[in-house]
Amino acid sequence: MAERRPPKVIVTKIGFDGHDRGSRVVAAYLRDAGMEVVYTPPWQEIGAVVKLATEEDADVIGVSSLATDHLLVPKLMDALRAAGLEDVQVIVGGIVPPKDERLLLEAGVARVFHPGVALGEIAEAVRMLTRDRRSLLEGTL
Amino acid sequence: MNAPVTPVERIRGGDRRALARAITAVENATQEGAAIRAALAPYLGRAQVTGVTGPPGAGKSTLVNALVKELVARGRKVAVIAVDPSSPVSGGAVLGDRVRMAEMQGHEAVFIRSLAARGHLGGLSRTAAQVVELLDGAGFDDVLVETVGAGQSEVEIAKVAAHRLVVCPPGLGDDVQAIKAGILEIADAFVVNKADLPDATRTERELRAMLALRQNAAPEALPPVLKTVATTGDGVAALADWLAARALQHGRPAPAVPHTAPPASGPAALLARLIARDAYARHLGLELVEAGEGTATVSMRVRPEHINFWDSCHGGAIFSLADTALGLACNSYGSVAALIDSHMTFSVAVKAGERLTARAEEISRSRKLGVYRMEVRRDDGVLVASLTGTVYRTGKPLPNEASTGPAA
Amino acid sequence: MNKPVHKPVVASALEQAERRWQEAFDASPGAARRAANRSGIELKPLYTPRDWSGAHYLETLGYPGEYPNTRGIYPSMHRGRSWSQRQLIGLGVPEDYNARLRELLAHGASAISLIPCNSVFRGYDADEVPPELLGTCGTVVNTVDDMMRALADVPIDRVSCALNDPSPFTLLALLLVVAKRRGVAWTKITGTSNQSDCISHFVANHMFFRLALQGARRVLVDHIAFCNARVPGWNPLSVVGQHMQQAGATPAEAMAFTLASAIQYAEDCQARGMAPDSFLPRFTFFFDISVSFFEEIAKFRAGRRIWAKLARERFGAKDPKAWRFKFHGQTSGVDLTRQQPLNNIARVAVQAMAGIFGGLQSLHTDSYDEVLSVPTAEAARIAVATQNVLREEAQLTDVIDPLGGSYYLETLTDQMEEKIESIIARIDAAGGMYRAVEQGLVQRMIGDSALAFQKRVESGEQTVVGVNAYQVEEDAGAYPVLEYPARERIDAQLARLADYKAQRANAPAQKALDGLARAAQGSDNIMAQVVAAAEAGATHGEICAVLRRELGFGQPLAIV
Repeated sequence: MAERRPPKVIVTKIGFDGHDRGSRVVAAYLRDAGMEVVYTPPWQEIGAVVKLATEEDADVIGVSSLATDHLLVPKLMDALRAAGLEDVQVIVGGIVPPKDERLLLEAGVARVFHPGVALGEIAEAVRMLTRDRRSLLEGTL
Repeated sequence: MNAPVTPVERIRGGDRRALARAITAVENATQEGAAIRAALAPYLGRAQVTGVTGPPGAGKSTLVNALVKELVARGRKVAVIAVDPSSPVSGGAVLGDRVRMAEMQGHEAVFIRSLAARGHLGGLSRTAAQVVELLDGAGFDDVLVETVGAGQSEVEIAKVAAHRLVVCPPGLGDDVQAIKAGILEIADAFVVNKADLPDATRTERELRAMLALRQNAAPEALPPVLKTVATTGDGVAALADWLAARALQHGRPAPAVPHTAPPASGPAALLARLIARDAYARHLGLELVEAGEGTATVSMRVRPEHINFWDSCHGGAIFSLADTALGLACNSYGSVAALIDSHMTFSVAVKAGERLTARAEEISRSRKLGVYRMEVRRDDGVLVASLTGTVYRTGKPLPNEASTGPAA
Repeated sequence: MNKPVHKPVVASALEQAERRWQEAFDASPGAARRAANRSGIELKPLYTPRDWSGAHYLETLGYPGEYPNTRGIYPSMHRGRSWSQRQLIGLGVPEDYNARLRELLAHGASAISLIPCNSVFRGYDADEVPPELLGTCGTVVNTVDDMMRALADVPIDRVSCALNDPSPFTLLALLLVVAKRRGVAWTKITGTSNQSDCISHFVANHMFFRLALQGARRVLVDHIAFCNARVPGWNPLSVVGQHMQQAGATPAEAMAFTLASAIQYAEDCQARGMAPDSFLPRFTFFFDISVSFFEEIAKFRAGRRIWAKLARERFGAKDPKAWRFKFHGQTSGVDLTRQQPLNNIARVAVQAMAGIFGGLQSLHTDSYDEVLSVPTAEAARIAVATQNVLREEAQLTDVIDPLGGSYYLETLTDQMEEKIESIIARIDAAGGMYRAVEQGLVQRMIGDSALAFQKRVESGEQTVVGVNAYQVEEDAGAYPVLEYPARERIDAQLARLADYKAQRANAPAQKALDGLARAAQGSDNIMAQVVAAAEAGATHGEICAVLRRELGFGQPLAIV
């Protein structure tokens, strides 16, 4: 497939926490890095994120978590698989304790980013994951 | 059933992911995208395509959200294309318009897709018209296209949408000129949103005055100025009524619809108003398809809540559909008529998801009595049920229509 | 403001000396380096009497406890009575919270706080939400029964309680019911409704109850009126700059937005017929304290002066108590790093000192591990110890406003004041804070500042130790993190809630909820009905559901 479309990334927060500084900064940075960013306010429900990813044909979903909302990410992964979106790459950023990080990676999360990570590193990962997804999907339409 | 399912079959079958990926293919101008477009061609032309444009901050997205809500409540399947500007420097974009449609984006009858303009001028993305085709071909009843709204170069919407709404914030005041000529000329209707703000009435008046001046036409030939408060939904039902009436008059969207005001009189307009006021019809998701003196065609998509205990559409729902067509047909003369006797024959069972259309025809009509025949058919033409009904004609004018009905 | 007034002969001597120094400085290494603080104020390498001479001392600084209160709101400040040590705590089920509370009280905490579970913040009972999240970052409190257990053996007539309790203030309602059951008069209940500032929730951290902004606005005014009349020792309003600064606003912006919000709340109270001298003395404020030491001190001193002027001149308050800018400070979590987390102990100490020199009335010090997880008990103890060291070992409290009169700090206070006032003027021009946030103006300013700061970190212009400088290899797994409450405890809490709902008398609860709905539809005081509903046995989630239905459901308005 032609690579004309820049990476399309959903930047979202699921669960109850509302602290959205991280997600806004990341969204703005990815935009400035030339990507198409679908930004949602906090408190998204998992079903809504799946529908969003479906309709937007997103390459990557970035979930920001400050409190403990990352504990819902395994449920998101299940819901994506159930909707046939196993190709969509999920990354998580925020305060994620090490043991939870293992849990998320086992659930299929591609990368976990912690506070202090360079935004450029996130952008690079998104580009790479987008390439992975698109080559995975090549010719399957 | 072992043959591979084609993308078009999946899209026609309601597979949202296949549709979304086809949109990406069209955005990227791939061969796959072109092939899907070609294969969808036979299915085009059914959707009502409405463009929503206007200056930034006018409340386009909140209005679209409110309109989607109203259309879904009327049983329609609605797709929205929200076009956001891309950064001229990085090429990146924050696709934020759908955020303001949060209320409706989770609804199963709604499909929203954000497109980045990618440097394309004209208020749309380069491929927006092709994406509209895909959504039409996928079977949506309405496609709403929200433009960038970055300024004055929004005339492209005229080529894509049959119905063009220009949204104006109140308080344009003397700056009503900000809505420049190019946009004024494409408008089929103006919507003064945020009509609860103090300047709304003045804006409405100034718009009307300017339109009269610019177009040098009689007031009734000018595009109407509608007022809404998208955040509360005030005026949105009237806007949907106006769209329905206009769609009825224009049949289906054509690229260059001549500029005409929607009908304010005549049986079509009357029946559009009646069904819009009919809470039961809205509850069932009935829509008026065609109307004339003594005739009306009403359709309905069979929804899960219409299904009975053995997985078919409940006969009562089918009767309601036919009865509504009858009620509209016999009231099309502007005086009250009421059903006094009816007989119905059911031919085949109907499953959820199918669309049924009931057409009422007048067999005879005297001063006191009218006899009507209704046929209910599936989209493939199969007769589902037929019905005859006798109505008593009271001769009294329809309530709330005394001054606007055709009799007046 | 403080134009130097010098006799010519002095000036010339000063000028000569300054010229000599300037030449020497220019020849020194690093002379070309420019510096600016987070609010964008350019910093000179040296300040002298030519920058600030103290000529207008009485008008601009005055004495502590006197208008314009720049040096402090009380005559004795920390020399007389130290700040309250108020640690935010909240975790697990009410019993867990109660145990931690008693431990903190034993370790010298003089006031308590309650952070509810995020499900409570969002207006739901425990049985309405995904169970994974329950009690992982705050305490689950839904019923009077929960509040009784949370406050078991806590002398609520003697300790001041800070409740993180946004509109519609159900935690306060539950506390008042507990007081009634224990025979404690409401006049003896003291404390603060933290998180009562609905505007800050709307723009910055979206933790409000999903009440539409204008609905929350009404509930807040009802709440202020109710507390002023019935719980006179309670501070019903805490205007919060902390959320906005944590979300990325510069210190000057955060102070300006906070004051602009306070102006709106005061105008709403006035419009309700309340007299400024009756409600302004119960206004309190809550700020973030970043590690930008002098900037924070100047922010607080400037804010105190502006508020005194606003209260006296804009609102015409005559009671000096109404001019007092009472504030709680919390050290900034955004400054803390996951890398080398023990370094955070040093950062918190610097932040806390800035707050103390800034004249705060109560202080929360963050635990060093807040960027790793919800704080552990050990880390929370160190945070309390930090306050004890500063208060009792370091002799910071012996002299009032000890940095006052510094050429630099006074110049900076004036510059911050000017900057803050210009932002307030911008908000005023937009039609006030409610209009400004509905238009997204404030969110955009905050988002821009957040991204600009992050880009300075990425470019290395702003050093963050352990992140973009002085990095070391380390294993994040080496630090202990808080265990989430055991599933059985959460299950037990859910069972208790089910029992509570099954066993209570439903009719009075329903009747009270109907009364609440009627109040919301009409013009009766909503807070009085919230308390009545809590007393009749209604749960937090039930009360919030009624108000969501009647006053509208709020969506966060977030803008990139």
